[in-house]
Order: sequence, then structure tokens, then C-alpha cells
Amino acid sequence: MVTNQQDLIGRYFLEQAKLNASSRGDVDMEDDDAEALPTELNTINSSGGFVVVSTDKLSVQYTSVNLHGHDVGVIQANRPAPVKRLTYYFEMKVKNAGAKGQIAIGFTNESFKMRRQPGFSGIDWYNIGQYLVPFFDQYGTLRPIPGGTFDECFVVGQQNVEMEQLKQCFISELQELTSRWEQNSYGYHGDDGLLYRGQGKGEPFGPTFTTGDIVGGGINYASQEVFFTKNGVVVGTVYKDVKGPLFPTIAVHSQNEEVTVNFGKEPFLFDIKAYEAQERFKQQSMIEKISLPQNVSYGVVRSYLLHYGYEDTLNVFDMANNNSVPPITLPQENGFVEQDSTYALNQRKTLRQLIRSGQIDAAFGKLHEWYPQIVQDDQSPTCFLLHCQKFIELIRVGELENAVKYGRGELAKFLELEDYKELVKECVALLAYEEPSKSSVGHLLGDPQREVVADAVNAMVLSTNPNAKETQSCLHSQLEKLLRQLTACCLERRFLNGDQGEAFNLHRVLNSSKMGKH
Amino acid sequence: MSVTEQFSSVAGVQHQHHHRRGTFADHLFRPAAPPHAASTLAIFLRLKCCVAEAKEVGYGALYENSLITNEICENDHRLAHSLESLTVGVVGLKYRNRLVHPWGSAVGVGNCRVSSLITHGFEGAVLMSLFWIVLRQLADIEEAMATSRKVITKEEWEKKLNDVPIKKADMNKLVMNFLVTEGYVDAAEKFRQESGTEHIDLATITDRMAVKKAVQCGNVEDAIEKVNDLNPEILDTNPQLFFHLQQQRLIELIRNGKIEEALEFAQEELAPRGEENQSFLEELERTVALLAFEDVSNCPVGELLDISQRLKTASEVNAAILTSQSHEKDPKLPSLLKMLIWAQNQLDEKASYPRINDLSTAKLEDPAV
Repeated sequence: MVTNQQDLIGRYFLEQAKLNASSRGDVDMEDDDAEALPTELNTINSSGGFVVVSTDKLSVQYTSVNLHGHDVGVIQANRPAPVKRLTYYFEMKVKNAGAKGQIAIGFTNESFKMRRQPGFSGIDWYNIGQYLVPFFDQYGTLRPIPGGTFDECFVVGQQNVEMEQLKQCFISELQELTSRWEQNSYGYHGDDGLLYRGQGKGEPFGPTFTTGDIVGGGINYASQEVFFTKNGVVVGTVYKDVKGPLFPTIAVHSQNEEVTVNFGKEPFLFDIKAYEAQERFKQQSMIEKISLPQNVSYGVVRSYLLHYGYEDTLNVFDMANNNSVPPITLPQENGFVEQDSTYALNQRKTLRQLIRSGQIDAAFGKLHEWYPQIVQDDQSPTCFLLHCQKFIELIRVGELENAVKYGRGELAKFLELEDYKELVKECVALLAYEEPSKSSVGHLLGDPQREVVADAVNAMVLSTNPNAKETQSCLHSQLEKLLRQLTACCLERRFLNGDQGEAFNLHRVLNSSKMGKH
Repeated sequence: MSVTEQFSSVAGVQHQHHHRRGTFADHLFRPAAPPHAASTLAIFLRLKCCVAEAKEVGYGALYENSLITNEICENDHRLAHSLESLTVGVVGLKYRNRLVHPWGSAVGVGNCRVSSLITHGFEGAVLMSLFWIVLRQLADIEEAMATSRKVITKEEWEKKLNDVPIKKADMNKLVMNFLVTEGYVDAAEKFRQESGTEHIDLATITDRMAVKKAVQCGNVEDAIEKVNDLNPEILDTNPQLFFHLQQQRLIELIRNGKIEEALEFAQEELAPRGEENQSFLEELERTVALLAFEDVSNCPVGELLDISQRLKTASEVNAAILTSQSHEKDPKLPSLLKMLIWAQNQLDEKASYPRINDLSTAKLEDPAV
């Protein structure tokens, strides 16, 4: 039983050592930056024939003379808006409002038919009587039924009240249903200042816009809203319930209309950074209002010091707390847990001190004296880590010959073993360099490596406590558990939100100058 | 096979040719269906059976068979209502005898060939209406399922927890940040020795702590002197802080019974501030009110004499100094703990998972089922 637990603990720290090697930078940073951004207009799937796109693919001009509702010049961006961030934003400048100023800006998803402005669905509900009846085809797409109009379906030569009621009932059902199924776009239209959301009718939203105006469209992933701006001021927001990737989209419809799009190459008129800061601040103030139980932070810090064996710090900390005005009393933990944390406090402190100062032999000595069961099996992960560290220390002080001797004597046997050989190879690689600290395995000489070994020994000593209930309590301090829970909750929430929004990254939070990078 | 038989087989129900009231319905509805999307599909299929059946014997059967309507009512009032208004409409009409058209191929949700449902005339319209209504229910259920909470077991959650990379160095930094911002000079130094974590110049902490301690002990004059030694701009740029310090001085004078001095001080130093600022004036009046009472411990403004007032002022000074030194005035640790509470509350809306309810034990509770 005991050896199993020891082994588990040992292996955990072996893993930590590997993690220490690989994650040099911030773990999630690259992930968030890797999303591709829209950079230009997509000339391939646009409704060709009505518009001319400039060579830099950032300007659009309506060349035709519009005759009806379907000769709209609609263009999407080449890529959808990235989602793993707080907001996304782009702008459009109206160079020329043309004959009718029927310009629209918005977002559409992949299933949007490039025939109408963003915000329109394929169905014009105003004219349902004359239009073809929609139905679901085998792919579940809503399409007009060929060859039969709505009225025909209901014609029997009988116009009567019940029939009319039936028809109305049917129309409203259809509208509701399909508005939900068809909703795949949002559009802010310049000629009437309305917001269109997939139904034929727009809603009052903002001012109209025309030549010279700069309008912007954005998505706020924190509040799950789509917002629009005119000349640097937000004009309105709408809840975003269209799922899936959203492409920035613009549309022009009357003669001579011309717009230029800005996907970020030029500075925006709207201060998006300030907007983001405002969002973060809003969230941060909401969080700040939450009340914590009395003195819980002190308790967390104290248990941290206890767990890792920082005895001197702990004593001074306790003294300061007792002397403060008024004295700070810590929340009483469950009696048992408290006792166990003080277990072998002095020994753990001593061992950590020895390891951190590179006196591995002395550490081994003490372990043999106090906790022989830990170093009994020379091939246990803990012993392995200690041996590696000894080797590293010898290299650090330049005793290369001794290092080689030691390596041959103690490390060589680990080369056979699958889990260990990686680290052995890395350690040995240190010999190859004149300046090992600058090499690719230089991290081994750093403090974090010593820290891992010290923490491993610390956990092993804790595990020898007959009262220790579970392995978990030896491995993780209370602070660590809380931080893990925080990260896991944030990530899960983001995941359930379709992976949208900023990820929580502890390293980034700790190293930023201001809290509120969330 | 008649249409009805076709559909009965799809619905998994034995068809019976009895149309006596109750029997058909009994037979159709006896198989128990689980109360989720499946049951709406079942209703849909049953509906189709009903309609198919009704086509054979007449639409009147729909209307007359109130048992069927009631059964459907149990599941969805809207559906029942729509059905009712439809049947009223239908029954009021004459209908022509038509050949029964086969429905066409499979009835999958969202996969329906409505075209095949649209026969000529209003039978098609009725059926289509029914179809849309049922489909609507399915859409509602789909939405409800989307908003229902995901359940995460303890094992799954522990795996997610283990995947979180936490660096020891970051945790050390967090602790050091706490010790420094809260002013534990000696502990911060010890921690630096024991853990190797760097911190800012401790001298600034010592000075700051001296100021804080002075206020906490009631030596406000001393505190003000120290603050000005540290950085004269702090009080210059912070009128509210300065006022509160002066106010504290006044309180201490009153506490020590130096009434004459207190009055003089109030008139010379504080009254001018009060004139400039309404809230200062109100505070001043409150403080001076202390003088009106013999038994100060029992008066309405007695709390000003409480030690908590000193602590409030001390904390304000501490924050101002930290800000002036471009440090954050608050330690990060409590903010992170608050964030944890907030994050759990947010996640509660979407998932059921093991929570940590007691921060001091960090124990994972089993997820609520």
C-alpha cells in the first residue's frame, strides 16, 4: 500500500519535471493567438456580377443598376471572426452612398445564401401569399417548393373564415419556426438604420448612415452580443444566438455604391481597446463585489507554507498575525487536516534547504536517517530525481570528471527504464556543452528543477504520515487545488460556450501588471 | 398494406381496425414513451397514424375522438389547442374524396419530405399544419436540451483538474505578492530565503508599514509626517485621504479628552476643507458631534471612536502609498479566490460538476445529480 502510494507520488513529480522542461513559455498563449483572422474580402463566393472588388480586396463597388430584391452585391470576408478572444471588430467606410444608400454591414454564417443583404433570410415573409411555399429538403435545408404556391395549397374554391384562420395560424407557425431555423445573419442597414435578423422585417436599431460615415460591426464574446458602431460610437447591441463561425459581411445594392473595408490593417475609428477594457472592468467589478469568508486568504497562505515546509516563514507569519492590531485569527480548519500539515515540518524544511542549496548527498543522508522507506528502493522515481540532481549539481560546479563517474555509477542503470531514460539523456547532454546553461537543456540547471526535486521529497515525507488519508493531500496544496478548480471551471465554461471568449491563464494573470485580464 | 398499417409498423404499434371510442386510442397510446424528444416523435408518429386513420374513415374521427385529443393535451397544451382549432376548421368544410397518397419515404426529424405531404387540396394543408406544429415542438425540445445542464462526473472532472498546468514558481509569486502587499516584511524576507522567490525592495514596505502602524495606534501626526517623508505628492494628490487623516487626528484629540485643542483644530484645519466639499462637511459635522455627548460610547456617532475607524483610515493610507509606488494596492490572492466563486457560479448555469464549497478545505463535493 505504502509503496504504491509512494510510486504514484514519485511518478507525479517525474511528470512535473518533464513539464518543466517542455513548457518554457506560457501554455495557452500560442493556442489563443493561433486563430486565423479575416484579412480581405472573399471574391470567390460573393454574388458575382453585381459588384467589382478592388485588387487589394478591400473595396467594393456596385456596378449594376438594381432592379429587384435579389440583385444584391453581398461579400463575406475570407475567414470567419476568431472566437478565442474577448471581442472581434471590423469597420467599413462608405465612400459613396450611391443612388439609394442601401448599404449593409453585418455577420453571416456559412449557410447564408449570398443573395440578400445580411439579416435577410431566403424567405420574404411579407409576400408569403405570392411566394413559393418553403419546405425542408432531404438535407434539412429550407427551400421553396417547386411548382406550388401557398395559395394553391389552400384553394378549394372555398374562401371562408375557418380557412382564413387556418391560413393565418399556419403562417405564424411557419414564421416562428423558420425564423429560428433560418437565422444565420445579422445586418445593420444604412438606408433605414434598422437591424435585420433573418426575418423580412427589421427592428429599429440605430441611425442611418451614408457617404463619409464609418460603420463598424463587432462581436462581444463575453456578453454574447453583436454590436454596431457609427463614427466611433456604439449604436446598439443584439443578443447573438446564431451559432457557428460568423463571417464579417457587407452588401451594396444601388448604383455607384462604394465601400472600403478595414479588417485591422489600419487603426479603427472606434476605440475597441477601450471597449474591451470596459468589458473587463465590468466583469472585474462584478467579481470584486463577491464577499469572501473572513481571513480566508491568510488561511490559504498559511496552509501553503505548512504544506511545502517553509517553516521559518511560517513562524514569522504567525507572529506577525498575532501581533497585528487586531490580531488576525485564521479560520479553524478541520482539526485533522491542520495536524497533518504540521507533520514533520522541521524535517521537511531541512530537506528542502539541502536540496535547494545543492547538497544532495546530505539530503540522501538525512533521508536514510529519518525516512529510510523513501530511499529504500534506489530505482524509485524519487531516488532517480535525486540522483539526477546530484549529477546536475556536479556539472554546475564544473566537476565534470566526478559527474561522469557518478553518471556511470548511478544514472546508467536508469537508461534501461522507459520512463526515466528521457531525463537521463537530457542530463548527460549537459556534458556536451561548454556553457551548459545556455544550451537547450539549460533548464536543468535552473531553480525550477531543484524545486521539483524538493517538492517531490516533500510530498514523499508527507506520505509517510500514518494519518495521511489520501495521496491527493500530499501532492497538492490547498492553494493549488483552488487554482486548478478555477482554471478548470473557466475552461469548461468557455468550452460549453462553443470555445468562445478569452481563456483563463494563471501565468498571464500573475505576470500582468493589472488584474483583470479575464 | 394500408397507409395506416404502414404507419403503425413505423410507430411500432400493432394496428387494430377497431374504431370504437377508446380502443384505437388505447392501442396507440399504451406503449410508454420516455418523456423526452422521443415522445414528441412518438406523438408525431401517432398523429400521423391518426390522420392516416382519419383519412380512411373521415376527418370527423379526428374531431370526435376526443380521447386522442386529450392524450395529446397531456403532453402539450399548445399542441392540443392548435389541433383543436384545426379540427374545428376541418370539420366545418366539405372535403372531397381523394385517393390516399403514400407519405413517401422515412419520417426522420428534419428529414421530412414535405413535398410528399402536400397533396392537392386542403388535406395537404391540414397535414402540413399538423406537421409544422409537431416539428415546432421538436424545435422547442431541441432548444430545451441545448440549455439543459451537462453532467460531469467526479472522475471526468478530476481528469480535467489534473490537466491544468500549474507552476510552482507562479504559486510562490502569488504568495510573495500577498506577503508584500499586506506588509509582512519579515515573512517576505524569510520566504525569499526559503523559496528563492524575488520581491520588490523591502525598504519601501517597511516605511509603508510604519505609516500604517502609526495610524493603527492613533499617532496620526506621526503618520502624516512619515507619508510626506516617503512621498509628499501622496497627500497633495489625494485630498480625500488627507481629510480622513485630519479627521482621524480630530477623533484622537476627542478620545484623549483634549476638547479645546479639538475645537481649535476643527475650526482651523477641517472647517476650510468642509467648505470646499459637501461630503467633507458632513463628515466633519459627524465628528464634531462627538463633542456633544457626555457618554461617547453610547452616542449615534460612537463608531467613529471604534478601532475599526482607525483601521479604515490605515488601510486607505496603505492603498494610497502602494498606488503611488505603482504597485497594485490589492493582493492578487483574494481576487483569485473571488474569481473562483464567480467562475463556479457561472458554470453552474451550464453544467453539474464537483464544486468546491468550502475554500478553507478545498474539498471537491460530488456533483448534484
